[in-house]
Amino acid sequence: MKKLLFLLLIPNFIYAELVLEITKGTENPYSLAVINFDGPQKISKKINSIIKSDMKRTGEFIIRDSSQLISVPRNEEEIKYKDFKLLGIDFIVLGSLITESKFNLSVSYDIYDVRKEKKIRTSKVFGIPNKIRQLSHYISDGIYEEITGLQGVASTKLLYVTEERNTDKSLFQLVIADADGANEQILLRSNEPIISPSWSPDSKKVAYVSFETGMAKVFIQDLASGKREIALKNSTQVSSPSWSPNGKFLSLTLYQDGNAEIYILNLKNKNLTRLTNHYSIDTESSWSPNGSRIMFTSGRSGSPQLYEIDLRRSNSKPKRITFEGNYNAKASYLANGDGAIFVHRSNKKFQIALKYFDENFVRSLTESRLDESPSISPNGNVIIYATTEDELGLLAGVTLSGARFKLPAKKGEVREPSWSGFLR
Amino acid sequence: MSKAPHRLTSNFFGIVIFTMVLSSCSSMNVTEETLYDRNVQTVQASVAEEATLDYETKAIFTNATVLFDFDSFNLSSKSIQTLKGAVTAMKANQAIKITISGHADERGTREYNLALGQRRAESVKDYFALNGVAGSRVSVKSYGEERPLAFGTDEMSHAKNRRAEIN
Repeated sequence: MKKLLFLLLIPNFIYAELVLEITKGTENPYSLAVINFDGPQKISKKINSIIKSDMKRTGEFIIRDSSQLISVPRNEEEIKYKDFKLLGIDFIVLGSLITESKFNLSVSYDIYDVRKEKKIRTSKVFGIPNKIRQLSHYISDGIYEEITGLQGVASTKLLYVTEERNTDKSLFQLVIADADGANEQILLRSNEPIISPSWSPDSKKVAYVSFETGMAKVFIQDLASGKREIALKNSTQVSSPSWSPNGKFLSLTLYQDGNAEIYILNLKNKNLTRLTNHYSIDTESSWSPNGSRIMFTSGRSGSPQLYEIDLRRSNSKPKRITFEGNYNAKASYLANGDGAIFVHRSNKKFQIALKYFDENFVRSLTESRLDESPSISPNGNVIIYATTEDELGLLAGVTLSGARFKLPAKKGEVREPSWSGFLR
Repeated sequence: MSKAPHRLTSNFFGIVIFTMVLSSCSSMNVTEETLYDRNVQTVQASVAEEATLDYETKAIFTNATVLFDFDSFNLSSKSIQTLKGAVTAMKANQAIKITISGHADERGTREYNLALGQRRAESVKDYFALNGVAGSRVSVKSYGEERPLAFGTDEMSHAKNRRAEIN
């Protein structure tokens, strides 16, 4: 069997670029006044609009800008708290741009508590002129942290797969973008499918399944260098990579016995440890936040259900986690390990669902026809997933406070989202 | 509302954050941080071209596709009729080697569907083995739901996609 390798020629760089749409907010949001930052109008306008979009996307904020205020202060002395109280505003953000040189662009900003009538935070972010989006996301995260007490995710990244279907062959791309879908960078282009991308815990590498060799294989790619390797070189297919929280192990699904079984690969010495042994399908493994347990999908009961293995005990018997309905698959643990999100079938629809381990029922979080691949933000507050609308794949998000947003691609389909860790 | 005042983190993006509290104003957070965002590399996959069969073999096996029910990898009697022809051809020409690729419809998760496609391909391989075709002549793989034949969302399209292809 002669196999020919050839390089693909792609005429130009095609960016799918995601478009953010906020479709629903929470019932009782904070009201935040974001005053236009002092400094060059063009840059300040851009920064303000990114901050507003970041804050709105959390679903926990409604934003008032300068045009909606009774009085517009330029500094602390000019703040008339009464005017803000009248509009029901809880917090005010004032800021200014500082251009120190051609290569430096810094922003200082202050947050004021209207009810307490005082400044609660003063911050400065040192940035560079061609990273204005990142700079703005840092400010958004500072504001979010100060007001909610929870770390913000505006400065984190998303990893996902796009597909552009052409008449003869499709173009698949593995893409990384800011949490709002902007600033897309392509990690891999291929004419063969790419699935199951996931971040290493330190967010320096990604693992994914690529079919480029003719069958599913797991690759590990270093983001900065583009260097990559096949995680496990064997003759059969390998899929479903999941990093252990300490980044030292990768759980994988191997098919060497003709059936999907879960193994743990030691990334340093490449030792393989078998985790499951059953004649039905076992796949979609995922580690608990402290690395002591692995949840996976198994067909052993006759339909796909979630099971959990305790890694601290040798020969621990898989414990069944879900009993609701006949399809529960692709789970990931909540940040505190007391529950999981997964794909659940209800009334012939595949939805993203949540189950707390001390409860005996499932909470549906979405209601479309075909939702899949849920991934949780590092602060545990937002779930991003793949959905379809008008037969086209797009990303959508739901926050635990009930807000919703969509990230459709301008072109083609987007799916398989995976949220990075904190990058700030 | 004020959080842990001292924090020092560093990671791949090379970002360092210092958070400190001014002693003169205990309820106010003062932070300074530096932004750094490294670019990433784009990689181009070299796709392995699929091995092509010789003319004669191809003629026999074209359209050798068997279909399955939802979440099932059992061979139907119709599928067995299709496979009988393939077995006869395999026995008549000992030089023929085949690849069976299993597929699934779009419903359910991608990885579970990949495993399901594998089981469908294995069911076909098992049938060949039971009928005296050596396992060494048969290789098996799955594309899960990644290579649909029909793009609709109705059962007609789904049924076409739940398949194993022999070539």
